[in-house]
Amino acid sequence: MKTDPDVIVIGSGGGGAVIAKELGELGINTLVLEAGPWYGNKKWPEPNKTKGQAKESSDPKDLDGSLYRQQLTRLENDMNDLVTGKFRWGAADRRRTPWYRNIPDQAVLWQSAGIGGSTLHYYSNSPRAFPDAINNEWPIQYNELIPYYEKVEATLPVEFAPTTTKDALFYYGADKAGFSENRTLDVTTIGYRPQPNAILPPNEHLMDPNYSMEELSHMEGCTLSGHCGQGCPYGPSLEKMAKRTTAVSYVPLAMETGNVIFRPNTFVTKVLTAYSSSGNRQIVGVQVRDTWTGEMEEIRAKVVVMAAGCIETPRLWLNSELPYNPWVGRGLTNHYMDMVTGTFDEQTLMDIVGTPSVNPFVGHTSSARLDYPGLGMIEIIGESPGLSAQPLFGFSQHGYNLLKPTDSDIWDLEGRLVGSELEKAMNDYTRTLTLSVITDDEVLYRNRVELDSNIKDEHGAVPLVYYSPSEKSKQRREQLAKIATAILRKAGAKTVHRSDLPPNYFIHLHSTMRMGFVVDTSCEAYQVERLFIADNSVDYNALGGPNPTLTTQALATRTAKRLADKYF
Amino acid sequence: MPQANTHQYASFFGANDMGVYAYIIYALDHNIQIQRQLYQPIVPLAHPTAVMLDSAATQLVNNRQVQAFSQSLFLNGGMFSHLSREDRIRTLSALDNLSLDLYLLPSPFQNNAGLIKFVVDALNRFAMFGYYSEWPAYGTTRLNQPNNRKLEYFPLTWQKIGYPGVSFGYRAFRGFLFTMDEVEGGNENRS
Ligand SMILES: Cc1cc2nc3c(=O)[nH]c(=O)nc-3n(C[C@H](O)[C@H](O)[C@H](O)COP(=O)(O)OP(=O)(O)OC[C@H]3O[C@@H](n4cnc5c(N)ncnc54)[C@H](O)[C@@H]3O)c2cc1C
Ligand code: SF4
Repeated sequence: MKTDPDVIVIGSGGGGAVIAKELGELGINTLVLEAGPWYGNKKWPEPNKTKGQAKESSDPKDLDGSLYRQQLTRLENDMNDLVTGKFRWGAADRRRTPWYRNIPDQAVLWQSAGIGGSTLHYYSNSPRAFPDAINNEWPIQYNELIPYYEKVEATLPVEFAPTTTKDALFYYGADKAGFSENRTLDVTTIGYRPQPNAILPPNEHLMDPNYSMEELSHMEGCTLSGHCGQGCPYGPSLEKMAKRTTAVSYVPLAMETGNVIFRPNTFVTKVLTAYSSSGNRQIVGVQVRDTWTGEMEEIRAKVVVMAAGCIETPRLWLNSELPYNPWVGRGLTNHYMDMVTGTFDEQTLMDIVGTPSVNPFVGHTSSARLDYPGLGMIEIIGESPGLSAQPLFGFSQHGYNLLKPTDSDIWDLEGRLVGSELEKAMNDYTRTLTLSVITDDEVLYRNRVELDSNIKDEHGAVPLVYYSPSEKSKQRREQLAKIATAILRKAGAKTVHRSDLPPNYFIHLHSTMRMGFVVDTSCEAYQVERLFIADNSVDYNALGGPNPTLTTQALATRTAKRLADKYF
Repeated sequence: MPQANTHQYASFFGANDMGVYAYIIYALDHNIQIQRQLYQPIVPLAHPTAVMLDSAATQLVNNRQVQAFSQSLFLNGGMFSHLSREDRIRTLSALDNLSLDLYLLPSPFQNNAGLIKFVVDALNRFAMFGYYSEWPAYGTTRLNQPNNRKLEYFPLTWQKIGYPGVSFGYRAFRGFLFTMDEVEGGNENRS
């Protein structure tokens, strides 16, 4: 008979896969339950078509890089469509609708189900938090995180992004706008840097015409293909793929320990608890539902780790009727983002970067940044055409530029573009540089995930999401948008378009189960013994602006150690 | 109530010739599924959305905020399809701003500001993504279920704007500004 695992981890994304590997290395039997499919595993050769023969996989020999390549087609509609894409928030079976979240506003909530979770589509930007956003705010100090940051940076691994044309243009503009290079991992001053990315450096032969590009795509190292968001299947084997989603980094390492089993297509619908002899609620196990068959099952374990992400972790808490805590689901932040796009003419580009186009789709999707402690940050985004047009010109709280031209003299165009305006903007695509504005967003109690009391799906009441930024966050975003525009202008942009994205744009979600409110400094729930959390939801705040995942991974590493020390 | 024709809303982007309206209809009809007592119905939104656009257009025509042509762009087209491109955008904008009588809109949009905003926004986003992604190039297979689509040609929009599509990579390396070896705490702990 099979024995119960010591620990169940719910979710195999940015945080879950990391804590699973760390627990496995400490000799703790761990079962990871993941709602979505598994790409690149021989046990599921057609993960979107059929349930497959197996229920779970724990042998690294099951992993298959060529299968991964075949499944990750690098086509944006096939991979990223929010309704039908392979990287969507929904079941493996793409004939079915995505799993619903009610957001009563203009909204995009972009998460992915699957082994790897939202790191399947993430850009791998792996900066540390701003020290000042941790010190004096979080219940722990930045220094406590450093050894864990270092461990994750070495494991993923993280390297600064190589320079391509768009970065050269950005550095030029940032320099001209009066900023200087910031050669550091611990950011306390304003300045620009290459992105610290969880992407393997380019192969040393990349520029050598004796190797064909196809050959190079089977060798170790990034080929600058720009498909990071579509998933990167370039490398000699699954564990060596250039972009380090946890599906190719921590998941294989967890399997190597021999103590970790991953089970995809398994949605946890309830965390089960009982009262201990001392009268406290404590973990018993979980209830799950097979996403292909609908079969329900209970699995017991000594400890449960929730790593289902900022929406599903609080939803699961509430649907499990765990003890009332006024902060569960509260304090949601999303870096209140915006985007500005500069269009350049050929001559300017020739003069500055020596080529007549920027080709923003070449190189790491997000490859350089300006850190601005106190306001947030600015970074390059160079997506494929559909994923560029959608947020840049189709998603705005401003309205249509045609009906409401911008009243600012800073931008030439603002908001949604249609007809000839849109056509012109997209025809200039190869000569554009887009900068994303990412705000140090204030935590507010009113911003939240709660249960929709009217709508249920097969997993219980669905999440209802509310977010509106504070006045301070609005001012910070405005300042950053102006700085980003100044960088584009200094780089020589002839026109600049501002998207004015709506507030409910969720790429970076954090702080819905905050440390100090819902979990203690070891990330164990105050109100339920043996229940831990290891995803972005434990963040106390929005980190000052930096991308969230590295911090989640550092915390998950730390939590594994604390969990093991306390219970094993 | 004018008759709804779900084909009409893509046309305001000039995207109808590529069949992008069908993409939008698919996306709207496969977006939401909820649990009822014993079964899980999909909530198809394309038809009610088309009725909403016609109903909003009628309100704006009646208030003389927009002008209707006597001819529709489509056979049996509703009021929305009797408007010029700019007036269709005006209609969408009025819905976006909730600046009309929400009581007169059809279910499930009637007095449902959140859903109106969500769906009107989605129309814009879907049109962009349908048109500029590879979706139209699935050609005759584009309405198949996602696993059974095949690219039949190189996407025309990609060709037009100079996106080379799927690539093995580019010889575009210009060196490093700096590396992990050159920052404090960067590589000391690595093997
Ligand atoms: C386009 C895009 C680009 C991004 N780029 C970056 C970047 O460059 N750098 C960065 O730091 N961040 C980036 N992000 C954000 C990044 O994806 C998240 O910060 C990160 O993945 C969060 O990790 P997580 O563990 O909190 O959640 P997730 O990675 O979302 O993992 C949660 C997992 O839990 C599973 N799950 C949920 N509920 C259940 C359940 N009930 N039962 C079983 N399984 C469940 C999900 O399927 C998922 O696999 C990006 C996001 C987007 C959309
Ligand atoms: S640019 Fe991105 S997708 Fe392309 S090889 Fe490098 S990491 Fe992979």
